Amino acid sequence: MLARLQRARSLWLGIGLLLASSAPGYGASATLTQMIEGAKKEGVFRAQWSQNTFGGGEGFNEFLAGLNKKYGLNLKGQFTPGPDMQALMVRIAQEAAAGQPSSTDLYMGNAQALFDGLKHQVLKPVEWGAIVDRRPPKDQGYDAIAADGTHMAIATAVVGIEYNTNLVKGADIPKRLTDVLNPKWKGKIASTPYAAGLRELAMPGFLGREYILDFTKKLSGQIAGLIRCGEAERLTSGEFAMLVLTCGGNDATVLQRSGAPLAQTIVQEGTVLHMRYAAIPKNSRAPNAAALMAAYWMTPEGQALLWKHDGLDLHVFPESHMKKDVDQVRAAGGKVVINTPEWLASLKGYAETQKELEKILREGGK
Amino acid sequence: MKARALESPAFFRWRPQTSPALLALAALPIAVIALFVAVMIWVSFQRGMLGTAAAVYTLENYLAVFSDPFLYRVLWNTAVFTLTTTVVALVIGLPIAWLAERTTIPGKTAIYAIMTLGLLIPGIYTAMGWTFIAHPRIGFLNRWLVDLFGLDSAPLNIATPIGMGFVQGLSLAAVVFILTAQMFRAMNPSLEEAAKVHGLGFLRTIHRVTLPLALPGILAAVIYVVTIGIATFDIPAILGLGNRVYMLSTFIYLKVHPQGSGLPEYGITGAVGTCMIAVAALLTLLYGQVLRSGHRFEVVTGKGYRPALIELGGWSAAGWCFIGLYAFVSKLLPLLLIVYAALTPYFAPPSMEMMGKLSLVHFTNMEWGLVLRGARNTALLVVFVPLLVLVFAFAISWLVVRSRNRARYAIEFAAFLPQALPEVILAIGALLLALFVLGERVPLYGSVWLIAIVYVAARIAFATRALNGSLLQIHRELEEAAFVSGLSTLRTARRVLLPLLRPTLLSVWIWTALLVYRELTVAVFLGVHDNITFPAVIWSYWYAGGMNKASAVTLLMTILLAPLIAAFWWLGRRSQTAG
Repeated sequence: MLARLQRARSLWLGIGLLLASSAPGYGASATLTQMIEGAKKEGVFRAQWSQNTFGGGEGFNEFLAGLNKKYGLNLKGQFTPGPDMQALMVRIAQEAAAGQPSSTDLYMGNAQALFDGLKHQVLKPVEWGAIVDRRPPKDQGYDAIAADGTHMAIATAVVGIEYNTNLVKGADIPKRLTDVLNPKWKGKIASTPYAAGLRELAMPGFLGREYILDFTKKLSGQIAGLIRCGEAERLTSGEFAMLVLTCGGNDATVLQRSGAPLAQTIVQEGTVLHMRYAAIPKNSRAPNAAALMAAYWMTPEGQALLWKHDGLDLHVFPESHMKKDVDQVRAAGGKVVINTPEWLASLKGYAETQKELEKILREGGK
Repeated sequence: MKARALESPAFFRWRPQTSPALLALAALPIAVIALFVAVMIWVSFQRGMLGTAAAVYTLENYLAVFSDPFLYRVLWNTAVFTLTTTVVALVIGLPIAWLAERTTIPGKTAIYAIMTLGLLIPGIYTAMGWTFIAHPRIGFLNRWLVDLFGLDSAPLNIATPIGMGFVQGLSLAAVVFILTAQMFRAMNPSLEEAAKVHGLGFLRTIHRVTLPLALPGILAAVIYVVTIGIATFDIPAILGLGNRVYMLSTFIYLKVHPQGSGLPEYGITGAVGTCMIAVAALLTLLYGQVLRSGHRFEVVTGKGYRPALIELGGWSAAGWCFIGLYAFVSKLLPLLLIVYAALTPYFAPPSMEMMGKLSLVHFTNMEWGLVLRGARNTALLVVFVPLLVLVFAFAISWLVVRSRNRARYAIEFAAFLPQALPEVILAIGALLLALFVLGERVPLYGSVWLIAIVYVAARIAFATRALNGSLLQIHRELEEAAFVSGLSTLRTARRVLLPLLRPTLLSVWIWTALLVYRELTVAVFLGVHDNITFPAVIWSYWYAGGMNKASAVTLLMTILLAPLIAAFWWLGRRSQTAG
């Protein structure tokens, strides 16, 4: 009798566990359950970031479908392409100052923009550890989840030199930064108006301010123009042979899939990891849905979708594609710096150096 | 009634009455423009994050503007660019307008179609098209010239102020055409016939009679093109920004959208904008002088008005060659580029390899939700903005040209101001007004109506210029006759002025609708979520490097709207003929 009772209890326990595991929020913390309930009430999830980031609207639709499936939601989405990462953060700060809801329920951007967001105190702390399925492993002390919960890194972009493979081949592919100063590239290459990569390389402990200022002056006389990261089609068209330096070679990864003559090389001196962060604006209309979306990106499915749509993922996860690039640089003895808002805040003279570099690049031509 | 009017001493010093309703109609857009300007001036004295405690009042913005040597280089570039733009636009637009309205050249509807349908092609594509023609590295014309003459370097460079001015001039030739065609249409041929009777040849008649008669319209077109040249954004952005050639508009854009470090420098933009009010004032005074001497050009009267056309004979073929070359270079080539880009997976110069990669992938993967949202908002703007512009502009023009109301100079001045200001400045004024002044009390932020208000304010100047010119050419004796016959001011306007102004009203309506349809700068600045427009969708693709997706949406937009515009023109031409 006792044995039968024990068998029956085991059976019910098993059924219970099976049901629990198939329901949304299995093993869920109270925070996660609350967020799911909150998201159900929010109903609509408005998102805005640049069209070439995270797959734009096409990527957003797939992310939203994955989010709804994982947490048992029925959120309706509205994606609107927006300005670049820093301009969007400025817009959010303005809206917050004016008492208006944020343009985007979830902010996605780089360390520089987050640094601005933190300065203007427009980001809402989230208990990320309680809602992510798997906590990202630390990388040499770097934690993808900010200590104050205002942001969480969801992907990694590796800075390098992007080039048109029809125009730059074999031994011409730059190995060191100074290779781009070869006279044969004069008037044929481009840089960015915001000195991407250069501003970080100029910091103490990397190549240093004086070295990079001198290099940038030479580069400014060498380049034919300035283009934004993401304008890779000006490389595929042959208008420019190279972009020195990129914000990450992920657009090359995506365009290569359609046969575009585009690739990225990482110079021997080292690289900067431009992390992509998720953060919730304090004036978000759907903070719960937004936090759940960020948490979804940390799942293997979310990471796979980021790779599919934007050619990047978070390098600290074992299955990461970006991890291979980072490991390769480290194995070759190159320095790797992870760009975080906290790192930027700790640097003295970063903003001034960036402005100086931008001015050299902008005014080097007529 | 006639007797009553004749008995009245008022007949001998007839002055139209200014009704309060008309005054209110004219004052409303002026008040909005004044508000935008006031916000801009207010902003010009501030630094730091607006709307927060970090914002401080200062004169530093003005000091920064005047002490920046970079700005002087920018001003020089802008001057060269604007001059080139104006010359090219006049050299092309004016003869085509004259051919279409004053000669017997066949296929006039086709000319109108070419000149207006081409406006559907966004400036960014004209610029991209010319990159493939005359870019020093990838322009096929340069490659061909280098190969043909064995040159060391490319002889043409489109990424210079002159090169960009040429491309902008091609685009604005249509503006000159629209502005001057209705003037040529309304011109009394009897003076030209008199010149012929007195033995003047064709060229001397053009020089001594036609051009002086056309002077107000030409001057209006010049002022309009000059101000567009100063303020234009798309072509300098595409051809100049990447090549480090900066114009005033791209300079302002970079101050508001810093590409990298720092906050938007609205204060600097405000200071530049405030300085530009002075430029606007000068241009307004110049135009005012033309207006005051306008009675010299009153040639359309109630009797004897019959348009006569100049027989071109064999010269028609030459005329069509000129128009055809213009159409090919400025319209067909960019359109072909759009088709090509929409069908290729990534952007690369045309080649056999790329031809093998043509597909419909950008159409099958189109984000219809976004595209339809953009189309709905653009349709709303295209319907309402031209209508409001015509109502307000008619009220303003009538007050300025016909009334003796003392407020007319102020109204004229204020109506012209937006013309001389880059639209980005109006957009910033509207944005800050909606965010920090109106707030939640008047929920305009993020709404399509905020964009509509800026469009109306921005287009009033063009509409009043065109209506002023036409009103000047309609002699007062027609209205006096109506008044003597006992018609009220409103009925006089409806029965006498509106039928005579119909061609101008129609061209203003179409031109405003087209400009609204393709306008980008304001839409980008004020677009948030629900109010994104069709061009802003295209821009969002283009700006993010998705040239091919942008091309697919542009092609869709052109295909959808082209027949409608063509039908509208056909109806317009038919109603004129019937009239």
